[in-house]
Amino acid sequence: MGGGRGSEGGLALDPEARQRFEELALPHLASVYRLAVRLTGSPQDAEDLAQETYLKAMRAFSGLREPERVRPWLFQILNRLVLDRHRGGSREVAVGDLEELDRFSLYELIRDEDPFPYSDRLHEDFLAQFDDEEVRRALLALPEAYRLPLLLLYVEELSYKELAEVLGCPVGTVMSRLHRGRKILERELWECAKRRGLVKTWKR
Amino acid sequence: MEEMKPMTCADAMRQFFAYLDRALAGESLEALESHLEECLACCDKLAFSRQLDEFAKTRVREAPLPPDLEERIRQALDRA
Repeated sequence: MGGGRGSEGGLALDPEARQRFEELALPHLASVYRLAVRLTGSPQDAEDLAQETYLKAMRAFSGLREPERVRPWLFQILNRLVLDRHRGGSREVAVGDLEELDRFSLYELIRDEDPFPYSDRLHEDFLAQFDDEEVRRALLALPEAYRLPLLLLYVEELSYKELAEVLGCPVGTVMSRLHRGRKILERELWECAKRRGLVKTWKR
Repeated sequence: MEEMKPMTCADAMRQFFAYLDRALAGESLEALESHLEECLACCDKLAFSRQLDEFAKTRVREAPLPPDLEERIRQALDRA
């Protein structure tokens, strides 16, 4: 049954195209999965999301004009799925005033607060206080527009040009999102340090 | 005699990440590099930005692929 159609209405690929799809797309599974873990924060959600990405990609495969672009194309599909899933229910932090954000400097705050007065490696000691999960949570809290480019850069080392392609925006936008994404990350780490009493409590 | 600086520290700071990502070229790269040659404060800030990047990167890169995921995806593709 089904007359050559996939279960969700997309045209099923002929065996040759299906094999080509697998040969091109499956070698990128580790990348797709890793990005999915970082975008969702959960290995279980990431597995589902990776599977959904490949199902969707297979259905759309005949529309992929440049096979060498398969990796950014898979990221694009994954991103759209994440956006659809998380629309509405979000734990994102607010961006706040952009000019203020651009001026935010974790370096200066650490220097001025001096949380480890006897340290000669103040900034390194500050960073060493965070465990891996806290850093991942801070990244997860970035608003979506900043989270995806920063994670693609950090996890997959995409170039600005590739990022522009995945995000569908000019390189200049990629540049400002990466700048502001990192500033929000700095701000989140500072907030986390305050919550943990790493700063202020050290001051007399 | 104070020399005129073609780039302010605030301007320089806005370029740090693009510099670390090797996305600066031509005049912007030259302007930032000549600012860094004269400004120790910015060199320190840049070094911290690099440190923070490495710090975050090492915490997000590790996510080993579940061993049976590829097979499960092949099966899902078969069923589709």
